Amino acid sequence: MRVALAVASLARHRTRTALAVAGIAVASAMLLDMVMLSSGMRLSFRELLDTRGYQVRLSPKGTLPFDTEATVGDAAALVAAARAQPGVAVVAPNLGAQLVAPRGDGAVTVAALGVEAGVQGDYALREGRDAAAGELVASPAALAALGRRVGDTVSLGTGWDPQLRAFRELAPRRIVGVGRFYFLGADQPVVAMPLADLQATADGARRDRISSAMVRLAPGAEPAAVARALAAALPRVSVLTTADAVAQADERVAYFRNLAFILGSVSLAVGFLLVTTLMTVSVNERIGEIAVQRALGVQARRIVQQVVAEGLALSVAGGLLGLGLGLVTARYLDAILGDFPGLPPDIAFFVFQPRDAGTAMGLLVVAGTLAGILPSWRAARLPIAATLREEAVA
Amino acid sequence: MPAHRPAFPPSSPCRRPAPRGRWRAAIGAALLGLAAAAPAAAQAPLPTIALDARLRDDAGIRLGDTIAIAATPDGPARRMVVAAFARRTADPSEVARAEYKVRLHLADLQALLAYGDRVDRFAVVTRDSGATDRVVAGINARAFGFRAHRSRDIAVETGRTFAVINRFHRAIGVITILASAIFLLCIMLLRVEERRREVATLRLIGLSRRTVVRAIVVEATAIAVLGAALGTGLGWAVSQVVNRYYQGLYRTPLVFSLVTGEVVALAVALSAGLGVGAGWLAARRVVGRPPLALLGR
Repeated sequence: MRVALAVASLARHRTRTALAVAGIAVASAMLLDMVMLSSGMRLSFRELLDTRGYQVRLSPKGTLPFDTEATVGDAAALVAAARAQPGVAVVAPNLGAQLVAPRGDGAVTVAALGVEAGVQGDYALREGRDAAAGELVASPAALAALGRRVGDTVSLGTGWDPQLRAFRELAPRRIVGVGRFYFLGADQPVVAMPLADLQATADGARRDRISSAMVRLAPGAEPAAVARALAAALPRVSVLTTADAVAQADERVAYFRNLAFILGSVSLAVGFLLVTTLMTVSVNERIGEIAVQRALGVQARRIVQQVVAEGLALSVAGGLLGLGLGLVTARYLDAILGDFPGLPPDIAFFVFQPRDAGTAMGLLVVAGTLAGILPSWRAARLPIAATLREEAVA
Repeated sequence: MPAHRPAFPPSSPCRRPAPRGRWRAAIGAALLGLAAAAPAAAQAPLPTIALDARLRDDAGIRLGDTIAIAATPDGPARRMVVAAFARRTADPSEVARAEYKVRLHLADLQALLAYGDRVDRFAVVTRDSGATDRVVAGINARAFGFRAHRSRDIAVETGRTFAVINRFHRAIGVITILASAIFLLCIMLLRVEERRREVATLRLIGLSRRTVVRAIVVEATAIAVLGAALGTGLGWAVSQVVNRYYQGLYRTPLVFSLVTGEVVALAVALSAGLGVGAGWLAARRVVGRPPLALLGR
C-alpha cells in the first residue's frame, strides 16, 4: 500500500520524476565507474600475473622485474638453487634486451626476450611453434615493424658501430611463430628467442645473465613461505610474490584510486542532494495532504515510511538505470586509458564485478533512504490543526 | 670538499643533464651501501656524486658523506663523496616512479659501467628554430648511425601518457557537466513549480509570457553564476588540498591541479549557459499552462 502510494505520488509529476531518475542514473553510473576503477586495475594486474600460474618473481636485488635494465649474473647457478628449494615446481628465467634490424636506410628496434621455451610464461603462441637455436617468435607488431612473416628470416644485431659503420653482431634468425606477449604493450615490437641465443649477444656481456625469473609453486605450497625461503637462499635477488607485486603496482596507481574515491564521493553527494531536494519540495507541496492524512488517523510513522519509500523508489530506479549507463561509460573510459603507451593488452582499468554493482546500489539506496528521512520526519511532526488552517487560507 | 674535478654545485637542481636509459636505471638500482662520513682527503681524492634529495631524507645522508656505488647489485663498488643533493624536477613522466636518481660526472659513470668513451645522447643548443631545422636535417643526412630529434618532437612522444590522461579527464568532465545539467534543470523545474501560483498571479495581472520567462531565466542564470562562483572557491580550495596531498605522496614539486583564469571562465560560462537553458525550459513549461490551471482551478 505504502509503495503503491509512493509510486502514485511520483507518477503525479512525471517530468520531475523522470529528471530526478535521470540525474540519479548519471550519478549512479559515475559511482559504479569509480567503484570499478578503484579495484579494477589491481584485479586486472593480479589476473595478468597469474596468467601462467607463476606466483613468485625473482629480480636483481633492489629492482622490480623488468622495471630497470639491471641483470643478475651467474644465472645458471641461481636458477638451479631456486629449483632446488622446497615448494618450487618450475623456474622460468628470462633476459631482456634490445636488438636492431636494418630496414631500408634506417633500423628497427625490437625488444628481445631470452626464454626457455618449455617453461616460459611471457607469451602464448598464436601461430607456428616455439623457437629453437637461431630462431625466434615475434609479436604481430614486430612482424609489422620488420616487414616479415612467419617463415621469413630477419637479421638482428645489438646496435650500430659508428666507427665501423656497421651493425654489431648482425646475425640471421628465422621467424617460426607469432606470440601474444602478456607483459608488453600490444603495439610494442617484441621477439622471443632461446635464452642461450640472447645471452650470447653483446660480445659476451650477457653471458650467464638474466633479467628476472618466474617461479611456479608446487601444489599446496604457500607463496609467502616459499618467497621467504628463496630470499634467504638467494641474497643477490629480490623476491616478490604476486601479492607483493600487486601492492607495488598499487602504489604507482594511487592517483587513480584517489581520483575514484573523490569522484565516487561527489557522485554520491550529488545523488543524495538530488533526492533530498526533490523530497523536500514534494513534501512541502503536500503539506495539506499529509495534514489531512494525519487528521484521519494515519500514524506519523506511516507518513515517514511513505516518503522514504518515494526516495527509495527514485534511488532504485535511478540506480538500476545507472548500472547500465555505468557499464557503457566504463567501457568508453577504459578504451581511453587503454591507449597508455606500453600498456599490456590484458590490463583493464575498469573491471566489472557483481560486488561493485552491489556496492554502488547499496550506497545509493542508503543515500536515498537518508535523503527521504529528514523531510518526511519534519512533515509528520507538523501540528495538524494549524497546518490545515494555513493550507485552507492559502 | 675532496674533488679532483669540479664538484657539483651545492644548490639544486643539479645542472648536469639528467642521466637516462640504461645506466640511470642501473645506478638507481645499485646503491649498495652507505659508509659513515669519513674524511677521504688523505690519498687520491674521491670522485663526487649528486644524490636524489629523497635519498637524503630516507637514508639520512649528508653532504660530504662517502657512499659505495656499483653498476649492478653484484658488481664491484666505487666510493664517492656526496657533493650535492638534487631535487626531483616537475617531470610528469617520472612522478609515479619511486627509484632514486643519482648524477655522476660523465667520466666516472663511463668508468663505473665500463662503458668506454661512449654516451647515450647529446643535447645541442641552436641559435633559433630555423637553425634547429637545418642542424637536424644536416645531422640526419650526414651522420649515418645517429639520429637527431627536435626537443619538441621528443616532448610530444613522451607526452603520450599525459595526452591519454587529458582525454580521460575530459571524458569525466563531460559526464560531470551532464550530471550538473540534469541537476540544474531539476532544481529549476522544482523552483518554478513551487511558484506556479505566483506565476499565475503575474500572468493574471497582465504580465506577458515573455516577461515571465525572462524573469525566470534571469533568476536561473543568477543562481547558476552564484553557484559557479561558490564552486570556483570550492574548486580552488580542493585544488590546494589535491596539490598538497599528491606532492607529498609522490614527493615532487609537480602541480597536479591548476585553477587558471581560463578554467574559471569556462566553468562560469558553462554554468551560466546551463542556467539559461534550464531556466528557459522550466519557464516555457510553466507559462504554457493557463493561469487558472496553475491556480488549480
